[in-house]
Amino acid sequence: MEQMQTVRESVKRTETAALEISGLRARVEGKEILKGIDLVVRQGEVHALMGPNGSGKSTLANVLMGRPGYELTAGQVLFRGQDITGLSADRRAQLGLFLAFQYPTEIPGVSVVNFLRSAYNAVKSEQISALAFRKRLKEKMNMLGVEDAMVNRYVNQGFSGGEKKKNEVLQLAVLEPEIAILDETDSGLDIDSLKAVATGIQQLIGPNLGVLLITHYQRMLNYITPDHIHVMMDGRIVSSGGPELAHELEKKGYEGLRKELGEG
Amino acid sequence: MAAVTTSTGFDEATLRRLLERGGAPDGVRERAFEQFQAMPMPSPETEEWRYTDLRDFDLSSFLPSAEEPFAENLDGVAPELLEAAGEIGERSGLSIQHNSTLVTAHLDPEARARGVTFTSLDDAVTTHPDLLEERLHHAVPTVRTRFTAMHGAFRTGGTFVHVPAGVDVRFPLQALTYVDADALAVFPHTLVVLEEGSSLTFIDRYVSPDLERVFSNAVVELFAGPGSRLRYVALQEWGSGVTHLSVQRAHVERDAEVRSLAVAFGASLARSEAETILLGDGGSSEMLGVYFGRSDQHFDHRSIQDHVGSRTSSDLLYKGALRGQARAIYSGNVIIRQGAHQCDAYQTNRNILLSERAKADSIPNLEILSNDPVRCGHAASVGPVDEDTLFYIRSRGIPEAEAQRLVVTGFFQEVLDRVTLQEVRGSLEATIATELEREASERLSGRGAEAHAV
Repeated sequence: MEQMQTVRESVKRTETAALEISGLRARVEGKEILKGIDLVVRQGEVHALMGPNGSGKSTLANVLMGRPGYELTAGQVLFRGQDITGLSADRRAQLGLFLAFQYPTEIPGVSVVNFLRSAYNAVKSEQISALAFRKRLKEKMNMLGVEDAMVNRYVNQGFSGGEKKKNEVLQLAVLEPEIAILDETDSGLDIDSLKAVATGIQQLIGPNLGVLLITHYQRMLNYITPDHIHVMMDGRIVSSGGPELAHELEKKGYEGLRKELGEG
Repeated sequence: MAAVTTSTGFDEATLRRLLERGGAPDGVRERAFEQFQAMPMPSPETEEWRYTDLRDFDLSSFLPSAEEPFAENLDGVAPELLEAAGEIGERSGLSIQHNSTLVTAHLDPEARARGVTFTSLDDAVTTHPDLLEERLHHAVPTVRTRFTAMHGAFRTGGTFVHVPAGVDVRFPLQALTYVDADALAVFPHTLVVLEEGSSLTFIDRYVSPDLERVFSNAVVELFAGPGSRLRYVALQEWGSGVTHLSVQRAHVERDAEVRSLAVAFGASLARSEAETILLGDGGSSEMLGVYFGRSDQHFDHRSIQDHVGSRTSSDLLYKGALRGQARAIYSGNVIIRQGAHQCDAYQTNRNILLSERAKADSIPNLEILSNDPVRCGHAASVGPVDEDTLFYIRSRGIPEAEAQRLVVTGFFQEVLDRVTLQEVRGSLEATIATELEREASERLSGRGAEAHAV
């Protein structure tokens, strides 16, 4: 049985990785937040998940990454064909899943470069030398326009909102996951920071990366054009479509769409 | 290895033997012995001893001394002692106390030529009586507790340092206290005197193998003259079985600066009091502390930052991690005296609990008697590794044990960043790493056992 799974896993690795969510229900502190989510994100695709505050977008992000305290009550999440719902966050990351946090946590006393090197070694199953890693990191920093000073500071400690999000994108660039969930990476940013962060993400998007872009606002989509847009309300995906859905949403607002759906 | 002592117990016979031997100014031992006999064991009913109950601590079960032969120089010192001294960077001097005897004190000839004194306290009593006057037992009077009285009556060995005015001692001086005689009571004493405008770094290191029971009753007296700069490091690395009680007090005069670091990794029970009194205007004090407890170790740290002079500043930062069933108490007091103007005082204690059975209490306290604008702050925390931080780290692929190691290493980094002595910082980092490795492997084997049981 175990052997079969290994074989299947190795086969899957050569195929396009996909995150397949079906019938997903989850509770937080006894309250049902996700009420049946179906969604497939493949490597190379960009999906935007939009919705008003409290619709369950961030809960979905946390459930997908395996945050403790989020109780799965039904459904499954397959990644590379494997059910990952029982796996710890580190195992999920090692399989190629990434979450850019809405509120990145401070790690006092641990520099960005040391943190990233530990993470790199863990997801790549390598023991890269400090020097070789610095070089790799430098390439990504140049690409994203990250200054040297930032990576020598302690992770997120004393970082501005923009720096925190930039740091998330830098981690995404260095760890090279197959599927990345970006949880409101545009929130709390002024227009310049938004542009810098969005441009960074835009550069990372390609055939090797699948993205689930969670956002409350339309503004991120001025920089990144998704292949698919999903609208989430009250723990369900209520509408899915192409990029045109974003424009429709902008005109009608979430309330407008809610009424329309309610009537229809 | 240790010479057999003829008398046991802390009685008049032992006192008489020590009086014949010398090593203390006239009358000191007798007076301290009277105090020792008159004073009760500290009671846990007092605030000071609330968390460390020593009423059943049987002093009569310890040997009052184990004398060792003197060594001409470091070549005459047993290799295991030198090894215990740890990695030693460049030093201007090294003294070694083996059990009850300060067996050697080596001072760099250059420092000696500039008038620096570095010798056993026993010898200093006869060679430098004038320098001891108003200093020995003056920062920490024998009458303070039954233990300091005992120390005054029965101390042997000890280290004395005197730096003349204007002299900068280039490299640190280090004193090693090494005990390998079971059931021994030792009385390490460090007396450091810095005259005006001088500077010195001094490292005290306490080392032993794991023993049945040993009592270390230590006193550290630091006198920083006007404009002087003193760095003082105490590395407590006793083996298990040791009960360590220490009192350290620094007198900081006008514009002087004393920066101390207290490290506690060893002993079964360690109660350390560290006090700084800022006597002159413009003096400053930094007090750093690092502790890492395991199994059923008990650490009781107490501190006082006492501001008498105006424009004085003090900053205390103690950080500790506890695993197993280790227990830590931190209790600190900041006092701004009446008439002390424009003082700055900060006090921070943070504890990280790595097991559910570990326990820590943190009791910061401010006593502001001055009515002049002062800036005072304190902060304390006790808790496990933050769940959100762990999840964030693990979401990057880093497994739990490694994530925990990163958080705890980072937790100590704030203190380590302020430790300027490279070899001290290196040795702290190594010890913390070792403790965390042990923690991780114990956790794994514990889990394995659980899994097996299921």
